[in-house]
Amino acid sequence: MINKIKQYVGIMPAIFVIGFFMFIPILIIVTYSLLEANPYGGVNWNLTTEAYTKILYERDLFDEISFNSAYLVIIFRSIWIALITVILCLVAGFPVAYYIAIQPPSRRNFLILLITVPFWTNLLIRTYSWILVLRDTGLVNNSLQVFGITDTPVKLLYTEGAIALGLIYTYIPFMILPIYASLERLDVKLIEASRDLYATRWITLRKIILPLSMPGIVAGSILVFIPALGAFIAPELLGGGQKLMLGSLVQLQFSSARNWPFGSALAVIILIVVMLALMLYARNAHKNNSEGTIH
Amino acid sequence: MAVAVSVRNVKKTYHGSPSIDALKNISFDIHHNEFFTLLGPSGCGKTTLLRLIAGFEDLTAGKLHLFEQNISHLPPEKRPVNTVFQHYALFPHMTIIENVAFGLRRLGKTENEANTAAEKMLELVHLDDFATRMPKQLSGGQQQRVALARALAPQPKVLLLDEPLSALDLKLRQNMRLELKRLQRETGITFVFVTHDQEEALAMSDRIAVMSAGKVQQIAKPDEIYETPANRFVADFIGDANFYDASIVKSENDVTTYQIGNGVHLKGPLRPNMPDNAKVTLFVRPEKISIINFSTLELVSGEIKDIVYLGSSTDYQIELNSSLSIVVRNENQQNGLAIAKPGDKVSLRIDPTSIRILESENS
Repeated sequence: MINKIKQYVGIMPAIFVIGFFMFIPILIIVTYSLLEANPYGGVNWNLTTEAYTKILYERDLFDEISFNSAYLVIIFRSIWIALITVILCLVAGFPVAYYIAIQPPSRRNFLILLITVPFWTNLLIRTYSWILVLRDTGLVNNSLQVFGITDTPVKLLYTEGAIALGLIYTYIPFMILPIYASLERLDVKLIEASRDLYATRWITLRKIILPLSMPGIVAGSILVFIPALGAFIAPELLGGGQKLMLGSLVQLQFSSARNWPFGSALAVIILIVVMLALMLYARNAHKNNSEGTIH
Repeated sequence: MAVAVSVRNVKKTYHGSPSIDALKNISFDIHHNEFFTLLGPSGCGKTTLLRLIAGFEDLTAGKLHLFEQNISHLPPEKRPVNTVFQHYALFPHMTIIENVAFGLRRLGKTENEANTAAEKMLELVHLDDFATRMPKQLSGGQQQRVALARALAPQPKVLLLDEPLSALDLKLRQNMRLELKRLQRETGITFVFVTHDQEEALAMSDRIAVMSAGKVQQIAKPDEIYETPANRFVADFIGDANFYDASIVKSENDVTTYQIGNGVHLKGPLRPNMPDNAKVTLFVRPEKISIINFSTLELVSGEIKDIVYLGSSTDYQIELNSSLSIVVRNENQQNGLAIAKPGDKVSLRIDPTSIRILESENS
């Protein structure tokens, strides 16, 4: 009995933190999404599903509803750009993680430290710097023209590509670190055994290294996908607000649009997409556990 | 006899601070169809040599030939040799049959062909019922046999074994020795076996290369290594031995008398071309000496100081004089009763032909 009480006392801080910082805010958002919008901001306490209806339909002056794909486009664009970000982070991050993992241990820690260097500067400032690099009179376009590759500036800024670039730049450490953790635990002897059994480097990568680093790849993909989906700064600054993404859309609802329930409903949509991704991850992790652990 | 592996002037240096010469100019041949063992203490370079043959490390200098093909600079996947790793290194995400078929698949066999051959290999190591299990579901001994099957499946020209038994417990290890010998006989593949366990080496090998400090000290059959070691290192590393610094007293007929301490003389064989008063090292194995209870005119006598019971035999520590002692091993043939007790005065019979004279260590 005493032990039971002690156990509960022990996990109280965890319960408090999760309850206070996660469940209560989620509860507020879900509640708000089911209330009526107050035109001056905030909500009127009348239950309605209007906010969710608004995602798919629009209501005209005569109170008739018709299908409206504008918000769906934004939702799918967000998912699409987040997926592209995940894939490119993986393609660019895996070789980096692998390179770090095969270094002598003393050098590894230093390289990992280098990966975290960007975090030392404010994200807003770093994203602004990308504007200087990408704009029509920026570093890239000036160089292209100096070397005579193009005559007129190439439009780089305020494109979906610029958004993806900003997102990759921001979130690639979240891809590199878990993959590195997986690869670092990988037994070098397995790679030797594979080469010994007539597998080339490429086959060894495909048949041994990639499958065994899958937990890291999946974890990294989720860690990149979640924040990329709801990202606000990169889409806003590098997308110029022309290609709206979910993050900007939510922000808009709470500021100038003054439709808090709709903003909350969109946040709930992000939450649902994230939960789906996590469920996929959980299923994958379970499968991996039943198949074998990595030595 | 065909040469399976030819090692010529092989050197391996690990650069760093300080640089380490793991192998210092090694040359020898491993014959076709031979169970060849590289034996030595840790750090002697035996594993480095094995890894060089497998292709996991680059030669610093020298040449490696495999059945007259120069393999010195081929990548591991181009060398027709396979390795059994110390901790098995089975692929944890593949079933047993997938593990065993892995090499065959890479050699271009279809899935069906590879699986059929892999099943045959699993039969050979008595694991045919385990084909669809995952490696972590098997015991250490079973994993070891899977590792063997996986390395043998592609029918390599030479099988390399890197201390494959060291992670197993004693009984299993002894069974696996027999199993390895049987597999080597049945497959006819040349085995190159690395171990630090002298008993293992003596039990299994056709020939043994004893290594120390990056050099080969002696290459010979197990009985030759044990009976006529080339130097003190080999004599000391293989089995137990009594060593004495000695000087020659006199030589007559075929027997030379050596003085090994104050007033203690041993009769041994004559070493040819030895100057008078030359200093030599003598050694004699403990089991070659017999204890005689009654006092005779035997050359050596002493007092029993200590008795160590070893099960099948007993070791007697006998003090010859205040600064000199000798260990005698006696088989426990009767009922295991000790033939003497501490404090007993005994005489020792040492056949002159069982005494060996050693050169100084080859270093």
